[in-house]
Amino acid sequence: MASEKTDVVAESLLVKTTPRLSALGFFMALPPMLLVICFVGLPILIAFTFSLGFTTGPNRVVSIIGQEIHKKDHWWGTFGAYKDVFHDSRFPGDLRTTLLVTFMATVLVLIMALGIGIYQRMIGGRLAGVMTTLTLVPLFVPVVIASWAIHTFYAGDGFMRTLFSHFGINFPTLTSTVSAIIIGTIWTSLPFAILMVTSGLQSIPDALIETAQDAGAGFFRIIRTVLVPLAITPIVIAGTFTAIGIMGSFTIPLFLGPNQPTMLGVEIANFFGAYNRPQQSIVMAFVVFAAASGIALVYIWANVRSAKQSGRI
Amino acid sequence: MARREKTRSKSSSPVIKVFLLIMMIALAFFILGPLLWLGIHAFVSNWTYPNLYPDGWTFHWWTQVFADSALADAIRNSLIISPIVVIASMIICLPAAYAAGRLHYAGRKTFLIGMFAANSFPKIGLFASIATLYYALNLMGTVVGVIIIQLLGTIIYMTWIPAAAFAAVPRNLEEAARDAGASKFKVFRSITLRLAMPGILVAIVMSFLASFDEAQGTYLVGAPAVFTMPTEMYSLVQNYPIQVAAVFSLLLALPSVLLISLARKHIVGGQLAEGFQIK
Repeated sequence: MASEKTDVVAESLLVKTTPRLSALGFFMALPPMLLVICFVGLPILIAFTFSLGFTTGPNRVVSIIGQEIHKKDHWWGTFGAYKDVFHDSRFPGDLRTTLLVTFMATVLVLIMALGIGIYQRMIGGRLAGVMTTLTLVPLFVPVVIASWAIHTFYAGDGFMRTLFSHFGINFPTLTSTVSAIIIGTIWTSLPFAILMVTSGLQSIPDALIETAQDAGAGFFRIIRTVLVPLAITPIVIAGTFTAIGIMGSFTIPLFLGPNQPTMLGVEIANFFGAYNRPQQSIVMAFVVFAAASGIALVYIWANVRSAKQSGRI
Repeated sequence: MARREKTRSKSSSPVIKVFLLIMMIALAFFILGPLLWLGIHAFVSNWTYPNLYPDGWTFHWWTQVFADSALADAIRNSLIISPIVVIASMIICLPAAYAAGRLHYAGRKTFLIGMFAANSFPKIGLFASIATLYYALNLMGTVVGVIIIQLLGTIIYMTWIPAAAFAAVPRNLEEAARDAGASKFKVFRSITLRLAMPGILVAIVMSFLASFDEAQGTYLVGAPAVFTMPTEMYSLVQNYPIQVAAVFSLLLALPSVLLISLARKHIVGGQLAEGFQIK
């Protein structure tokens, strides 16, 4: 079902572009294409065979270095490493944490982006401009700094507790909790979502909003029936990219989260490096890929939908 | 009284204004608070909880950072690797961006989606997969391996944003210049390239930051042999007092602040968001 959908996309794209060919264009596009094939496509393919117990060829060295490697015992391989991971007592907690953080943070980021975007579109003014600029700040702060700054801010001797203690309030220590991971991911994901959502909302013509107003539509009705439907594609792109980015994060849960359970990103790095169990690490990576591919389909659907609407496909 | 309330609410009621102001302050607190809190620590001798003011001020931590050879090495590595990554990315991606923006060839859209897809794998899973292959290619713990990892993060910026910028250059301007007798190369240099420059500039800034700030992949394939500034932070926060991490953070943020103030106008002006739509 899923691959059928992408096939249709690929086909419709090809039909559109084949009549006018430029050989030069194709060759100019080749270098980044090759880079992606060699260092994204190929590694993922090879890693998948490694997770199934194919330990020869390109997987030979890693199989010698790594511990607890399962070698294939059928022609198609083995599920040994998958069993290791799924029977690991920490795995369910890690998976739950990953999905919970992804869901909560994505929803909150979208609410904030929509709120600020709609505010800027409908009311505008200097305050709205300052607000948008403010939300772009995290775009330019390295994740390691941001994570550590947030770590110290919400720590036991951090600013929040210092401030509230002077009012006699015992503010909870958020650092090393799942809440802190959510705070950190919102902090770092906000700029991209804001950029996408505001640019989508800004491109809606004034005339449409004014017509709705003249017809008697209230503020929330305009949001529900005009703004959100017309900007749905950038909103979906913002949401899917935020969610996929969060799923693959490592630094934020490492600095801000509890030791156990943590997000799979931390476990993947730990299993690969500290525990030297690369095969189990790759299995977890594919669990994350599987979850992300569901989200990616939503993204492709949104893009195809917008391309169809504007008559480009 | 009631009438006055009503006329005000037509533009924007004071209740909404106060609400928005509170939201604004909360947002500023949420975003800037942690950065300021960490930044202040770079100049603080010690801070006893729960005092509102630090125990004293000092520059001691700055001398400690510059005197430490591991930290200095990380700074040097970062300053060498990131420019190499950006230049390599420009050489590899800019011709492709031009092609995607201006020429029609088989699989043009597949190309753009492919570039996007490369960025849509959850990062740490992709890095673990790459690291598996790196063992076979003997690239683990090498500078070349780190450069390739960081290069992957720049591709999306260096293809999509310039492609949109090249596509936006008006054709009739070029044709007019050709009619006036300008050579093809001259038209490209003084019209196409010049008009696309803001987009390319944003792509360069974003690529540099993506490379300079990349930590997860660099750590996975580079450590313990190659350390850059962001990956040094991982060990730094465990082994040094918070003030040293604060100093290092300020140093690490410096290039971002400088580059952003240079390109701020174009980034906020829409070049970035414009670049991320499939056209």
